[in-house]
Amino acid sequence: MANKRVAIIASSAGLETAYKVLNIATAAAAMDAEVGIFFTFEGLSIIHKNSENMLQLKPENAGLAEGFQKANVPAIGQLLEIAKESGVRMIACQMTVDVMGLTKDDFIDGIELGGAAAFLDFSFDAQVTLNF
Amino acid sequence: MTTMIQTNRVVNCEGLACPMPVVKTKKAMEEIQSGEVLEVRATDKGSVADLQSWANRTGHQYIGLREENGVFRHFLRKASEQETKCETTYPHVVRNDELVEKLASGGKINVLDVREPAEYSFARIPGAVSIPIGELEERLGQLKQDQEYYVVCRTGTRSDMACQWLAERGFSKVKNVVPGMSGWQGATERDE
Repeated sequence: MANKRVAIIASSAGLETAYKVLNIATAAAAMDAEVGIFFTFEGLSIIHKNSENMLQLKPENAGLAEGFQKANVPAIGQLLEIAKESGVRMIACQMTVDVMGLTKDDFIDGIELGGAAAFLDFSFDAQVTLNF
Repeated sequence: MTTMIQTNRVVNCEGLACPMPVVKTKKAMEEIQSGEVLEVRATDKGSVADLQSWANRTGHQYIGLREENGVFRHFLRKASEQETKCETTYPHVVRNDELVEKLASGGKINVLDVREPAEYSFARIPGAVSIPIGELEERLGQLKQDQEYYVVCRTGTRSDMACQWLAERGFSKVKNVVPGMSGWQGATERDE
């Protein structure tokens, strides 16, 4: 059953993206899959230390805020903790980090910096690849 | 009213949204022993499909679901490698279909179900007596050495162990039902 691998690219902004990425990642890890996420461009905000302020719903989805509360959806910080605990690899794209003038210190602990090849090396053996 | 079903552990996921029920189930399953039974209580409607898929993928046994007052009570049993290998060594076996015939022909048939109480609760051979394999030693007094017993579990492994153990204690007429409840085509009953 083991040896399933899920490779995810997170490249878009917003709270919606963060949930799509982290729900799939943590559920896959719970199903004993190896999971790797490559954060690039706007997707970097998900692992930014200031993600709570950076991740907002799109204006047209503002009405969902109440629904998120009502459904007791876990906080992004909680999902990130679960992801780390369950061994999800989180790779920040070195190139976009440089372009945006950021450093490793701008991101939460436990992430890696890597390039496209590092992520591809992981993805070549993945049965599931997703792009959000 | 909530039905009592004996389990080794309960995980409360009431009020939690996806993916938390799956995440918490995974964590709890790591902490219990092989063969033990976990109850997951969730209100997330998605948990009905999710936990069955999760069990299917991770190789654990999804025993059954009860819905009570908007709470989904999932029962799962932690798999052990020994069981999936399905090795049987006790020589006296009866196939499922042979037992179905014997039951149909009437007469007194003693079926001894050695699975966990939660498994027994969801589907069992009508009239079967439940003594989980872990309780066999302390409840041996409830069985008689000269009686014939058809011992059943899910895949024939636990019942094989039970048959060997009973035979060593002078039970000469015990038979292992193979494969057991996993392939059972005959009638079943369950707790209401």
